[in-house]
Amino acid sequence: MIRAFNRALDHVEEWLIAGFMAAATLVIFAAVLHRQSAAVPWLWQYAAAFNFSWAQELCIYLFIWMAKFGAAYGVRTGIHLGVDVLVNAVRPNIRRSLIVAALSFGAFFTGAIAVMGVRWVWFIHGTGQTSPDLEMPMWVVYLCIPLGSSLMCYRFLQVLTRFLRCGELPVHTLGAGAEETA
Amino acid sequence: MNAALILVILLALLLTGTPISIALGMTVLTFLALFSSFSLDTVDIVSQRLFTGLESFAIMAVPFFVLSGTFLTDGGIARRIIRFALALVGWMHGGLAIAAILACTFFATISGSSPATVVAIGSIMLPAMIKQGYPKRFSVGVITTSGSLGILIPPSIVMIIYAVSTSESAGKLFVAGIVPGILLAALLMLITYLTARTRNFPTLPRASGREIWVSFKDAFWGLMLVVIVMGGIYGGIFTPTEAAAVSAVYAFIAAVFIYRGLKLRQVPRVLLSAANTSAMLLYIITNAILFSFLLTSEQIPQALSQWVVDQQLSPWMFLVALNVALLAAGQFMEPSSIILILAPLLVPIARNLGIDPIHLGVVMTVNMEIGMIHPPVGLNLFVASHIAKMGLTEVSIACLPWVFVLLAYLVLITYVPAISLWLPNLLY
Repeated sequence: MIRAFNRALDHVEEWLIAGFMAAATLVIFAAVLHRQSAAVPWLWQYAAAFNFSWAQELCIYLFIWMAKFGAAYGVRTGIHLGVDVLVNAVRPNIRRSLIVAALSFGAFFTGAIAVMGVRWVWFIHGTGQTSPDLEMPMWVVYLCIPLGSSLMCYRFLQVLTRFLRCGELPVHTLGAGAEETA
Repeated sequence: MNAALILVILLALLLTGTPISIALGMTVLTFLALFSSFSLDTVDIVSQRLFTGLESFAIMAVPFFVLSGTFLTDGGIARRIIRFALALVGWMHGGLAIAAILACTFFATISGSSPATVVAIGSIMLPAMIKQGYPKRFSVGVITTSGSLGILIPPSIVMIIYAVSTSESAGKLFVAGIVPGILLAALLMLITYLTARTRNFPTLPRASGREIWVSFKDAFWGLMLVVIVMGGIYGGIFTPTEAAAVSAVYAFIAAVFIYRGLKLRQVPRVLLSAANTSAMLLYIITNAILFSFLLTSEQIPQALSQWVVDQQLSPWMFLVALNVALLAAGQFMEPSSIILILAPLLVPIARNLGIDPIHLGVVMTVNMEIGMIHPPVGLNLFVASHIAKMGLTEVSIACLPWVFVLLAYLVLITYVPAISLWLPNLLY
């Protein structure tokens, strides 16, 4: 049951962030094309039918959502780097407690942010603010903070339990991320 | 006093191996909770900053360039660029090595990341060089070092981060990197040429004019990206962020439809891998912005700036201290974190001393290049050891002579501002 839930969560997470990435790129590309086509004599009248003034705002929101959920995905892939001089220099049992401490800090911080995020979203919901260009309710936009951060907290706890159980940490091959795709 | 407290908390967290982004954020929360007049208002400011800190179109050039770099690395573009570079300089003494440097230079003009450049060029050139009889150590050193050109030659992700964190113009900083980048590439080639002559490395037969033309035509669509990005920015057609988005779409088309290095069904994996890297960078940026909010509200940059003025440091002494501090920081952290934490502190001081922030940006970038080929956290070393199947220590030793070359070059860039500033002053 839990395993099925985790697998579904992994998939949703991956599709969300890849989707946000693609959508943001296409939106800005379309906006640039649209602006350039306005200068072309036979095209501008078609171009004038569309309005892309909201493109930048949408791109920013998409990327912030991508960043919040992607950061959670990053915990799973072990891409968040820390300073490991001390960790690699000490005896194994001290090393173990340092790693447990680091992961707990991660879980605590992201958990705290999630709680603060809920408070903030609640406050914004009360003000009824909307975004300047898209006129989306701002509390929906800000939802990425509590949602992303609690997912990230969950990921830290997952990595922590796996480490306590079998001593494994996710390792990311730095910069060679491209090879995952090959 | 508060500055010392903040520093102690941050260092303690960093030493446990907590990810840098988390350590920065935790420092802010800990300090606010324990040592300041804590109120719910501050909590709200923190939550708001987590979002609004990123709410800038300029920052979004980072994920776009990461995406375009990921497409370029896998898309079969590197192979064409290498063929063209080989046709141009392969016949010289140390031709293969010089071609590798030239290919890294070309690749750097379309990609904004150093490790990506090492992967793209190194995974093809390294086996080729070793097969041709080049010493393995020398080959690894050359590739790892010239890969670091990726962040000096525009576009550059490190430069965008510097521009964002100091409110400088990314476009101007890009232009400032052109001359230093070409100069460094030339320096690396010269050293390689001289080494090749004395140690008698193999040469290749001279390529025919036809081969040069054919290989140029084949690499043309990849190299066009330089024209689109740089021409677009300076022609006023689009902003750096839009240029990055266009270059991502262009790289996608080149990789999937023109060179067919990638299949359409592999594209989601590319998107995911790019999202992974850029979310990590954006997460560091968010927390670094929180951290500098804490520093500013404690008035630490001002105090530090005042302290430097009181010491009556001359600009050149400040620059020595700055380079030593940055090189030391480069021992522990990767470039984006260093720049995000230190640039907002250093730029006000530099301004006071009459040092151009654009020049400072180039100095910091060259500094970061050294950090990338130096243990323990040099990203290029990790990548190179991965593709060369060599241990990290051995790769580090291979790069050591080149570290000294870059150090000498850093001195040159630091004390001859004209190298960086001549072109931007001409254009802006």
